[in-house]
Amino acid sequence: MDRPKIPVDLILAKLAADAEAAKHRLERARDIFHGPLATDIGTTPYELVYQEDRVRLKYYRPDAARLKTPLLLVHGLFNRETLLDLQPGRSVVHNLLKEGTEVYLIDWGSPTRRDQFLTLDDHINGYLDDIVEFIRRRHGVPKVNLMGVCLGGTFAVIYAALHPEKIRNLITTATPTHFNTPKGLLHIWMQEIDVDRLVNAFGNLPGNLVNAAFLLLNPPRLLLDKYMGFLENMDNKDFVENFIRMEKWIFDSPDVPGETLRQVVKDLYQDNLLVQGKMKLEGRRVDLGQVTMPLLNIYGQYDHLVPPEACEVLTTKVGSRDTENVCLDTGHVGIYVSSRFQRETVPQIAAWLLAREG
Amino acid sequence: MAQENSGQMTSEPLLAAWIKWTMDFWDSMAQMGPGLAGAGRSGAQASGKTAVSADPWLASLNLWQAFFSLLTEPGTVTAVFQGIQAPSKIILRMAQAGWGGYFYLHRQWLEGWQGGGSPPANHGYENLDQEIYQTCNEILEYDFRRLLNLPHLGLTGLPPERVTRATEKFSHFQAAMAEFIYLLYLPVKKSLRTMGAEWMNGGPEKPPEDFKEYYKKWLKILEGHYMTLFQSAEYTRTLTHTLHALEDFTTAKQELLDEAMAALGLPSRREMDDLYREIYLLKKTTKQLAQKIGRTEPSREED
Repeated sequence: MDRPKIPVDLILAKLAADAEAAKHRLERARDIFHGPLATDIGTTPYELVYQEDRVRLKYYRPDAARLKTPLLLVHGLFNRETLLDLQPGRSVVHNLLKEGTEVYLIDWGSPTRRDQFLTLDDHINGYLDDIVEFIRRRHGVPKVNLMGVCLGGTFAVIYAALHPEKIRNLITTATPTHFNTPKGLLHIWMQEIDVDRLVNAFGNLPGNLVNAAFLLLNPPRLLLDKYMGFLENMDNKDFVENFIRMEKWIFDSPDVPGETLRQVVKDLYQDNLLVQGKMKLEGRRVDLGQVTMPLLNIYGQYDHLVPPEACEVLTTKVGSRDTENVCLDTGHVGIYVSSRFQRETVPQIAAWLLAREG
Repeated sequence: MAQENSGQMTSEPLLAAWIKWTMDFWDSMAQMGPGLAGAGRSGAQASGKTAVSADPWLASLNLWQAFFSLLTEPGTVTAVFQGIQAPSKIILRMAQAGWGGYFYLHRQWLEGWQGGGSPPANHGYENLDQEIYQTCNEILEYDFRRLLNLPHLGLTGLPPERVTRATEKFSHFQAAMAEFIYLLYLPVKKSLRTMGAEWMNGGPEKPPEDFKEYYKKWLKILEGHYMTLFQSAEYTRTLTHTLHALEDFTTAKQELLDEAMAALGLPSRREMDDLYREIYLLKKTTKQLAQKIGRTEPSREED
């Protein structure tokens, strides 16, 4: 039997038609690029209520508060917190406000060489604890709700283990706690990295190196297909604006303080001390058994940075009896920007918190 | 209608002749190409293996020839002309599709003359051909370095030594980066070869008519090859090597800058780092003392 013949004629004809369409698209795109574009990120109004060194605290006030306990959002150090307020209509912060939650968001700022000696302890028992204290005083409440994002979630878990008396409910999203897994590329590469050499050479981990590392996780999608998609949609103003917003966020990784990076790589990624109950901060052991408050653990099934295997074990290691794993049908960033997360999961978080107001 | 038929009558043989001429040309080029003409250039080639630069050459040539052979299949040219009114348009369209491949081949051809190493026995990343990069590193190590390795003479000896060191580390970093980029290119080569093989051999299912379908398929194959590469020991080794080279260069560059800043009477980065460390420790101590005596940290509270 003859093999089916490749229809070269049809392919070429389609290519020619596509070229014509691309020409018209370019003409329309030119008008869009020459006109005003709304590409600002983090546009939900906030007050800057606290600052310590480079670290700032943003406060978002809801129209009508339904929850008595304010919610503190902790983002990781490798990317900006603006992920949680990326675009109007797809903002985690905005949707939490709509649910009647008072929201605080930590902006870790842009570390410089003067920050290179800051340790994990400085971030968790220093800045984070000072901020929690500030919120407790400001609202006159004994406990706050804590929600961590990515590595910020790991910070939140460690904080909750060391200061359980200050946390009412804990929510972790795309949070790695079990680092010894061969599933994620980041986990594989981190095993081999000589972090001492890196920190000694650079002081802080340069943000551009972080950007490059993220791109290398999937070059076909992140370096090629993404821009092919852009070319196909560049005559769509909404698409262009959202694309540029995402680009701004992706390529705006701050430098990471060297000593903190050293601890993250050695204690977490390479030695996996946290889930083994062997991790120490300034001599204090981080005992996950002390995490006795309700825990909602959300992660993405297709997360290539923090795979489910790195997240789901947490609920079995903590001391709390009120725990829940929620595995979403999405990837890492999709957890925060997908319309489904905005539509379904944010209200679910608010309802979960409301049910545990106490 | 008569005019269209007349156009086909005149253009089709012309196109067929052009295709035949082009195939003959590339056939002869293949004979002259890297690794095939230069028998005896290296032991690996003499033993019947192709050079590293010949591998993509052959893969591209096969793809190119497959494309042309499809055009020469009975009925294809007629079908093309039935779908398009003006014969010049089809030439233009084919040229658009073909120029990319032509330039690629041209580049590979030129690269071929620059010599190459022995190829992998198979195409696993663990058996990546490193010879060209090893050679490059050896040149840097044994020739270039010696050239730069001037003895430390007199009072002015130190700055040139720093310059030499920074230059040497920069060269090493460039070599490591080239190797890393080559490794990143391998999945592209592999995926194109896979696509080429599929194009030539076909499959039981009907081939798609939209170019985007081929693109999607290629992207999926490419993604698969990258995932295999990224989990290979070879990738980890090369990545680590490149990072180390970058770190070494950064350190050497900084030492050179420190030297220059000291000459200008400015505090060096190392001195500033020492100062930052002292400030950091002082702040920490102050905070601990403040907590002990029950005072809050003097942070800025803006409400």
